[in-house]
Amino acid sequence: MTKLELGNIIINDIQFSNEKSKVENGVLYVNQEEIKQIALEDENIASCEVFIARPGESVRITPVKDVIEPRVKVEGPGGIFPGWIAKVDTVGSGRTHVLKGAAVVTTGKIVGFQEGIIDMSGPGADYTPFSKTYNLVVKMEPVEGLKQHEHEYALRIAGFKIACFLGELGKNVTPDEVETFEFANLVESAKMYPELPRVAYVQMLQSQGLLHDTYVYGVDAKRTLTTMINPLETMDGAIVSGNCVSSCDKNPTYVHLNNRVIRELFKAHGKTLNFMGMIITNENVYLADKERSSNWSAKLAEYLGCDGVIISQEGFGNPDTDLIMNTKKIEAKGIKTVIITDEYAGRDGKSQSLADADASANAVVTGGNANQVIVLPPMETVYGHLHFVDTIAGGSANNIDAHGNITVEIQAITGATNETGFHNLSAR
Amino acid sequence: MNFVVITNNPLVYEKYKDELNVDYADIPFRDVLCKVRDMVYAGHPLLTHPLSGSVKPHETPYKSVLVGTKPGKMEQRDASIIENSIITADKFAEKFPNMPQHVREDFQLIDCTLITSGIDAVLRR
Amino acid sequence: MSKIKIVQYINQFFAQIGGEEKADIKPELREGVVGPGLAFNQAFGDEAEIVATVICGDSYFGENLEKAQAEVIEMVKSVNPDMFIAGPAFNAGRYGVACGTIANAVKNELNIPVLTGMYIENPGADMFKKEIYIVETKNSAAGMRDAVKKMAPLALKLAKGEEIKSSVEEGYMPNGIRVNLFEKECGAARAVKMLVAKLNDKPFVTEFPMPDFDRVDPNPAVKDMAHATVALCTSGGTVPHGNPDRIESSSASKYGEYDIEGVMDLKEGEWETAHGGYDPVYANEDSDRVLPVDVMRDFEKEGRIGKLYHYFYTTVGNGTAVLSSKKFAEEYAAKMKADGVDCVIMTST
Repeated sequence: MTKLELGNIIINDIQFSNEKSKVENGVLYVNQEEIKQIALEDENIASCEVFIARPGESVRITPVKDVIEPRVKVEGPGGIFPGWIAKVDTVGSGRTHVLKGAAVVTTGKIVGFQEGIIDMSGPGADYTPFSKTYNLVVKMEPVEGLKQHEHEYALRIAGFKIACFLGELGKNVTPDEVETFEFANLVESAKMYPELPRVAYVQMLQSQGLLHDTYVYGVDAKRTLTTMINPLETMDGAIVSGNCVSSCDKNPTYVHLNNRVIRELFKAHGKTLNFMGMIITNENVYLADKERSSNWSAKLAEYLGCDGVIISQEGFGNPDTDLIMNTKKIEAKGIKTVIITDEYAGRDGKSQSLADADASANAVVTGGNANQVIVLPPMETVYGHLHFVDTIAGGSANNIDAHGNITVEIQAITGATNETGFHNLSAR
Repeated sequence: MNFVVITNNPLVYEKYKDELNVDYADIPFRDVLCKVRDMVYAGHPLLTHPLSGSVKPHETPYKSVLVGTKPGKMEQRDASIIENSIITADKFAEKFPNMPQHVREDFQLIDCTLITSGIDAVLRR
Repeated sequence: MSKIKIVQYINQFFAQIGGEEKADIKPELREGVVGPGLAFNQAFGDEAEIVATVICGDSYFGENLEKAQAEVIEMVKSVNPDMFIAGPAFNAGRYGVACGTIANAVKNELNIPVLTGMYIENPGADMFKKEIYIVETKNSAAGMRDAVKKMAPLALKLAKGEEIKSSVEEGYMPNGIRVNLFEKECGAARAVKMLVAKLNDKPFVTEFPMPDFDRVDPNPAVKDMAHATVALCTSGGTVPHGNPDRIESSSASKYGEYDIEGVMDLKEGEWETAHGGYDPVYANEDSDRVLPVDVMRDFEKEGRIGKLYHYFYTTVGNGTAVLSSKKFAEEYAAKMKADGVDCVIMTST
């Protein structure tokens, strides 16, 4: 039996401070210089600015690279973000402290068309889960001539380091609440609730190439075979995001740390189902990889003795094919599926929603139609680069009006149609 | 497996022209998909997903797809994937009609890395 | 602001004229409310009023489709309403089809918002739910209160031109247009609940119904084509010049049966297309492009087929309800079978 305690330190505000950074009475005090120093340790990062974005403020953050929750390992083996910040020891047991309600939001323009908008107030705020967190916005500029993949790497690692630095501040703070998760091995699990249906979670990880990658213990997911992971490992950062495209349905690292499918399965465990395990598979571009990976998902789901699985997705187009392959093959084993996806049904909602479909996918949860158009009023402050908003998006017809309202599809908003069911948007 | 890279991406052409069989043409995104579709109909196996990448069709003007060189019997799966990809692509309007050169190059790079992951997989390297 | 003027369409039964024995009554326009209209008016309060009611027998409507439609539209037009409500029809099949047909026709011809309501399994639902808003009701008139509760607010919204939210929020049948909404629970929680229901064989509603693939297994090959009778059919709308049976250019309600005995070639000016969904120039120039009679005659001469069946069947596939198409095919397939047709070539456009 693996046991992980999550000690949540509830953060109600972030404030800048000239003293050393600390967590006190639910406030995260941040010394900007300490943050900058961490960012500038990497010689590929030329400059760094730090801002605070609070819920309800007239603030827009764009383009968002990643969102990361500060955590720290207090007891037990390994450390947060194994393979990156910590060594590759197996994580997911002992005790971890979380600065709940706080997030590090990294911004930086890696490619010219990058999207990812977080509005802290106004109509756009409803569409992103990260308008409700206290965000430490870290804007980093690369040294001149830095290649895109090195740039992505630099921002990703700096984000992890800063999140770990902040998490560390909570190491000796008494948490406001402690959640306990226990996960048993296969034999124990099967014995525990013999009368309940056995359920596993199949998580599909984005794995197509630059700006489309996910890493498991530091390994590029496209180089992996479908495998199993203890769901508790994800709570210590075993899975991280290197994905910056399709902001509405990409999974920032925050979402991997707080995967809500895992949460909900733990909640239902022992009551309405028996949570048997978690399978991670990829979304490669090579069709033979897709066939192989989905064969393995089905095989492992069968091996776990599952009666049912939940399959979640990440991204657009290509992964629809993986989703349908996984669903068809798992259903063909007599295992019932529910899939979580999102839709591209056109601005008028009339087009075919998915790039692939099959009658066996008869239980679908949707994160909504990503083509829905929304008008975002101007914000007093913009952290990041308006470049996307005024130059690029403005280049297409009628995107920005005289009052500064921008018309975008919600696919530009971070987390709007998340395909791990992280948000509450849906469609009918 | 012997394959050809169907592409409208000059960067892919430059990177692979000496090493691989690259069928490059300066044609619109949709025409690349149609070219692939016609090959699939003729029995060429489709090797990589035509909607690789989360960048939306017509947001990026570039597309590269790997198709087997040797035609056989048409694969139902491949026909379905390429047809659905065209239907999906048609839902998206061109996003950046006046695309700056640096953005154009970024799109070329993204498409190139996506197809590289496919090429590496086929060549097992 | 003046009240929104609404006309309601009901059948002989809900007008309390009579049951099946009175189903042949002709359309009649009465001032004010009749039957269910009272409950609607109460629900509308000061905002809207049913100012007139059209009553028509179900058999009359079904058997005199075009005439009845024209008559009802004239009556509605004479009142110049802001909105049209048909039914609710509950599980009454002919009434449901009539409600859908007339509401759709009023929408298209008078250009005012329309609404109807019926039970999900009413054949009218499948035929029209993609064309007009249909509120899902219970399966009998006992569900009238519930139906009014759902229909009245939606009717007001439609009449005022307000934003119509998603089908689950407003209570109309999913019409294929995807509309976003915020759920109370996150997607993950909904997924777990859905899975538990599915595992326990309890009812659950998918949030995204997969496209309906009505796949048909192919029949075994015809071995002896040289002696086979081959028929031609099309959803491309090929009809004799002038479209004598008035097959609609979209959402067709009928099919045509035409004799091609001795016709060797579909010539311009003799044949044309009724289809409104594609550019007709090339089809009108040479209808063989849609229905290849010329090629079939060549095959006949060459002895590659036995003979070409002397009738062809045709309709317009443009927006035509699957249920209607099925009904057409069931009818003419039976005729072809009786006449010894061995195989059929169905052309689309």
